[in-house]
Amino acid sequence: MAEKYDLQEREVWDGNFAASQALRQAQVDVVAAYPITPSTPIVENYGSYVANGYIDGEFVMVESEHGAMSGCVGASAAGGRVATATSSQGFALMTEVLYQASGMRLPIVLTVVNRALASPLNVRGDHSDMYLGRDSGWIQLDCFNAQEAYDMTLCAFKIGENHDVRLPVMVHQDGFITSHTAQNVYPLRDEVAYGFVGEFKPVDDMLDFSRPVTYGAQTEEDWHFEHKARQHKALMDSRSIIDDVLAQFKEISGREYKRVESYMMEDAEVAIVALGTTVETCIVAARELRKEEGIKAGVVAPRCFRPFPFDKIRDALGNVKAIACLDRSSPGGAMGALFNEVSAAIYTTDARPLVTNFVYGLGGRDFSIAEAKRIFKEQKAHADAGKITTDIQQFSGLRGPHLGFFQTKRS
Amino acid sequence: MVEIRWHSRAGQGAVTGAKSLGDVVSTTGKEVQAFALYGSAKRGAALRAYNRIDDEPILNHAKFMNPDFVLVIDPALAFTDNITEHEDSDTKYIITTHLSKEELIAGIPALQGREERVFTVDCVQISLDTIGRSIPNAPMLGAFVKISGMFELDYFLENMKRVLSKFPQKIIDGNMVAVTRAYEEVK
Amino acid sequence: MQHLKLLANDNRGLNELENGTGLVGWNEVTQGSILPSFEGDATNIAHLKSEERTYSGYNSYTATVASWRVLKPVYNRDICIDCQNCWVWCPDSSILSRDKQMLGIDYDHCKGCSVCVEVCPTNPKSLIMFSEQTLLEDALTQWPEKKKKEDK
Repeated sequence: MAEKYDLQEREVWDGNFAASQALRQAQVDVVAAYPITPSTPIVENYGSYVANGYIDGEFVMVESEHGAMSGCVGASAAGGRVATATSSQGFALMTEVLYQASGMRLPIVLTVVNRALASPLNVRGDHSDMYLGRDSGWIQLDCFNAQEAYDMTLCAFKIGENHDVRLPVMVHQDGFITSHTAQNVYPLRDEVAYGFVGEFKPVDDMLDFSRPVTYGAQTEEDWHFEHKARQHKALMDSRSIIDDVLAQFKEISGREYKRVESYMMEDAEVAIVALGTTVETCIVAARELRKEEGIKAGVVAPRCFRPFPFDKIRDALGNVKAIACLDRSSPGGAMGALFNEVSAAIYTTDARPLVTNFVYGLGGRDFSIAEAKRIFKEQKAHADAGKITTDIQQFSGLRGPHLGFFQTKRS
Repeated sequence: MVEIRWHSRAGQGAVTGAKSLGDVVSTTGKEVQAFALYGSAKRGAALRAYNRIDDEPILNHAKFMNPDFVLVIDPALAFTDNITEHEDSDTKYIITTHLSKEELIAGIPALQGREERVFTVDCVQISLDTIGRSIPNAPMLGAFVKISGMFELDYFLENMKRVLSKFPQKIIDGNMVAVTRAYEEVK
Repeated sequence: MQHLKLLANDNRGLNELENGTGLVGWNEVTQGSILPSFEGDATNIAHLKSEERTYSGYNSYTATVASWRVLKPVYNRDICIDCQNCWVWCPDSSILSRDKQMLGIDYDHCKGCSVCVEVCPTNPKSLIMFSEQTLLEDALTQWPEKKKKEDK
């Protein structure tokens, strides 16, 4: 019987602590981990909960992140509730096994504390690792603050373990800006949280001796495509289950989440689409601009980055005139991923708003309210001119001469 | 919204100080934010920690702020770091130093003309006397309670005890004396 | 002489791998390409012999690769010393042996690699490769004599 953990109704937790408390409340059976900044405290705390009797589980130290995710795959295939945490280079080293986990349909929860990818070496937050994982077949939930890191981690288990989903889930929070920022967090009582997540019900578990199974079969061109198609279908179909789980979470917590979050979009003329903590900073900027200058600014944020909410993004942005998509990852010779995906979604609407791309905040570069306002105002200028008046892709908050690419061909 | 910027060296407890402050403030029903930017910082490296306090949930995640309070818990950083960066016309400075206020300001041109808004207290000496180590964060909290007028001292001490509850009684007692002394000595 | 279906049940080698048997659409493939090995409850199968088990269609037991073979090993019981070398070395578990007594070859899964012949220590060999079309009884009549040591 696990020890009782003393919780206040209102705690002051950082994102890491919040995520680790969710792992404790979900009574995770196995964490195999190779700790890395800035996600270290998540697995460190889990280890201490095990050591101090708050969880009946196993903490497995491994020799690398590749080993960490491999251990998670093994433990999950064996039939346990499994989670781990990583960031940046560790995430990159895990990547090979991420595809194994999703291909084997193992509902592992990976709490990712987003951090830049070297080189040059950097420990601070950007979305390079989150973007690296976007084709790996995992569900990716994005958090904007510590409360959400807690809430989404609980939801992640319930989503991924649903027998109609059977997919691993990443829960992303911004390195340092969320992970090391203490804020008011309102946790659920242990029994409420565990009641919500529910007992783990394995399928195809290898420790079921009544039904031995093979994991990791080889499939060549005669079978591989069908398996991948079925996996993609499961990922696409998880959208409605994610909606259900978020609705159930609202019932127990009072906190409402959606696959696409929209703020002040009812009458918005210009919008910013962003991920992570930037979303909230942009909300403050939009509020101030509405008050100070009467600019009808709004913010749209994919809570669920994968499966990409093509449908909901289109709904959210169908009535605006100009949109800035903010990508916190070096796009490596392309437009930013958020820009590309948002553009593709709204291209299928009649309105076809003007869309521009900002690359910002790499390696933890601060993103201020003032900069968010400047971007909103630029969108307002595009809207008034009826066309994009700047480069389509620009770098924001960068020292040195203006850096931008491509001009519009629309008249 | 109250915004606070801590200037510290890694290991002096600014991060813990900021989080403790947040913890205590949250008990009054306010929303708080406490963060710091570090990670690869080695003990002794300059770092900054930040607090925001508001009645509404705090959405701004930028490091940038026009601080209402600047808390300097390392004596040398007052001289070497840009402690007046992004200041407002009413930014208050609480600086740990063994110098008198006049001596301190004489050595820091950026503080000149701000005499009314500069407060000094020797957090290093207080922590050595009361806790036995140079951990100047707790005394700084006592000085902040006094200068900000945000709480009654007793209320703060009571909640600080809860925040420190995992530490041995001796450490808790030392911290209580440290907070109280700084509250009384800051000027 | 060995029967071709020695120690086999009806399902062994039922499916030819190369004729596309059992190919299904994306909506029918197993989730996660996870393949159950047996039909029904397998809790107590550990003590059962292979021919007594109900292998599923996903198990290689029910598939055959006999057609991959050009040469086949033929087993001569009269010479064999039951050393189990062939059983240890066979990469396809196609040496059929019970209670440490060699019985013969699983011709549904043997690919004719001839490792068993290479490792057989008897003189003459107890396993010898013959062309696939040679009848087993004919092969046994063509068995070589014991080789004598050559003079030095």
